[in-house]
Amino acid sequence: MIFKLWAAIKKETLLLIRDKVGLSILFIMPMILIFVMTLIQDSAFKTINEKGIPVVLVNDDKDTLGIYIQKGLKKSSLCHVSDSINGVPATAELVKQSVAEGKFLVGVVIPKGATEAIRKNVTQLVNETMALDSVPTDSKTDSVNISIFIDPVAKKSFVSSVTSNLHEFISEVKTQIMFQTFSEQIAEILPEGSKAPENTFSKSQIIHYNEVYASELIGEILPNAVQHNVPAWTIFAMFFIVIPLAGSLMKEKKEGSIFRLHTMPSSYLLLVNGKIIVYVVVCLIQFVLMLSVGLYILPLLGLPVLQLGNSVFAIFVLALATSFAATGYGVMVGTLASSEQQGAILGSLSILLLSALGGVWVPTYVMPEVMRHISTLSPLNWALEGFYKLFLRGSDTVGILWPAFKLILFFIFTMGVSSAINRIKRKI
Amino acid sequence: MVASQPIIVIDNLTKAFKDAMEPAVKGVSFSINKNEVFGLLGPNGAGKTTIISILCGLFPPSGGTVNIDGKNLTSDLGEIKQIVGVVPQDIALYPTLTAKENLEFYGAMYGLKGMELKDKINIWLEKLGLIKAADKKIETFSGGMKRRVNLIASILHDPKILFLDEPTVGVDVQSRNVIIEHLKELNQQGMTIVYTSHHLDEAQDFCTQIAIIDYGTILTQGSPQQLIANTPGSSDLEDVFLNLTKRKLRD
Repeated sequence: MIFKLWAAIKKETLLLIRDKVGLSILFIMPMILIFVMTLIQDSAFKTINEKGIPVVLVNDDKDTLGIYIQKGLKKSSLCHVSDSINGVPATAELVKQSVAEGKFLVGVVIPKGATEAIRKNVTQLVNETMALDSVPTDSKTDSVNISIFIDPVAKKSFVSSVTSNLHEFISEVKTQIMFQTFSEQIAEILPEGSKAPENTFSKSQIIHYNEVYASELIGEILPNAVQHNVPAWTIFAMFFIVIPLAGSLMKEKKEGSIFRLHTMPSSYLLLVNGKIIVYVVVCLIQFVLMLSVGLYILPLLGLPVLQLGNSVFAIFVLALATSFAATGYGVMVGTLASSEQQGAILGSLSILLLSALGGVWVPTYVMPEVMRHISTLSPLNWALEGFYKLFLRGSDTVGILWPAFKLILFFIFTMGVSSAINRIKRKI
Repeated sequence: MVASQPIIVIDNLTKAFKDAMEPAVKGVSFSINKNEVFGLLGPNGAGKTTIISILCGLFPPSGGTVNIDGKNLTSDLGEIKQIVGVVPQDIALYPTLTAKENLEFYGAMYGLKGMELKDKINIWLEKLGLIKAADKKIETFSGGMKRRVNLIASILHDPKILFLDEPTVGVDVQSRNVIIEHLKELNQQGMTIVYTSHHLDEAQDFCTQIAIIDYGTILTQGSPQQLIANTPGSSDLEDVFLNLTKRKLRD
């Protein structure tokens, strides 16, 4: 039995080694895929993170609010602020036009007298509050209209980041003016010699934000294009083994080898087992090669080095489970399909679908709720979640046992289905 | 030569494929004696390949019983597979593997290993004039060479019964002669051969018993000489064949 299995493994290995196109699909294409996708996504990240969102600002206010917003936006790493367009000082009209032409993603126009209007409103409010006779003063207030022009192609998240910054600046300026006015009013009613409160606004800044990634990883491992893309595209490529594997099964049917093998005192399962062992090993080699791209090649291009987390053993367990799931799926597609072309189409389209559902293309958290539920049915999602746990959340072997278990169950399920289909097909 | 001892007994064998308008095999009964060269002849679609496929366990019959070497085909299929060899109609070899690699794999599937397997491969490659091409890929072989390797893959384990489904189709006269000569040699060594072919002259020369089948039923059975003698106006097997199956074209 072992000798027969060994012969099946040897035969499968020889067939694979001599299939140059198949080998390139298995090893070179996935490495190129990881390389290109990570590079593209990293440059997209850099556009936002390093250069910032292109914003054009017109500060007609020239007072506290205008200066505060201008300084705030310029200080923010999120934005790249310009106050001129093609060397000409920006005006409200020019801002609208240039945003419409796509030269800037966001345009902000702070009107003349904006600070004065806020000041007037705050003073009025303070006066009303401090008035002992409670007689309402003139209730008419000036409104401040800050115009924000948005490029229709801009991502909503980018625009939200800029507008939330603006809201923060405005409310901070408003609070600052309010504190200042209150302090002045209080100073007026205090008996002589008493000291009015000083620096009240800065003293009120007691809440601070401390952003920490919720990861058990030792050291500072920040999420980046490499940490996200390498595991995602590695899993995608591992599942693409479906095409050569299903093709190999179809070829054996077409060339009559399966026919001959069915007449021999060896089970079909033995032959399939030989295939599974070889393709699982191929998947593991693919995995190592693709991680190597993240570890050694991408850093040469200035990208961050892939951090492998805390447990190499856990990575191996999950990679092995993923390999079995991908191989089982390939056997199922190969058994189900009636021709090589059908197998290739069924295999590639279903992997594209399962990868899209699984969060390889778009993270699951941005999907609608229904799709998020559906995505949990994709084996690519189980594998991806497992690798994110290891690479981003610093989990260990125990943390990935559940996704690994689901992947192995999926393998058993696909083998069961393949066996049933094979039996049905032979009962002609 | 041991005669009149049946090794294959087929009784009322039927096979109806799903969605087919009528059964491919309709209650066929015949027996094949040990050490015989049994020819199953008939036009395209007559049911020859279906009978051979059932006999080698590729798919189950719809009805009837088959006993091979005293074993029931349905219940003892595993044991039967050990004692039969099958030469399929199509070349069932891996084109990107060499002749030797193909034979090593198929030999191993019959449970052969080590030096025994290597020796058998070399002996047969030598006998069939393929030793020089042993390490060449099958995809580089001519049709005749492929047919010869196709035959070797089925006889490495010295089967008691050899099923051949059109083993000489599409090969040149030289290759055909080599194949038939070696099949005769195997038969002389005690192997029972069940064979289908469209080469009626070849069958007349090679077979000891012939059954002519058409539309899933046996039309006649006997030695080639008996069949010719029993069919008025026939001088060879082709005359017998055309007389029984008529000249109507088949799909």
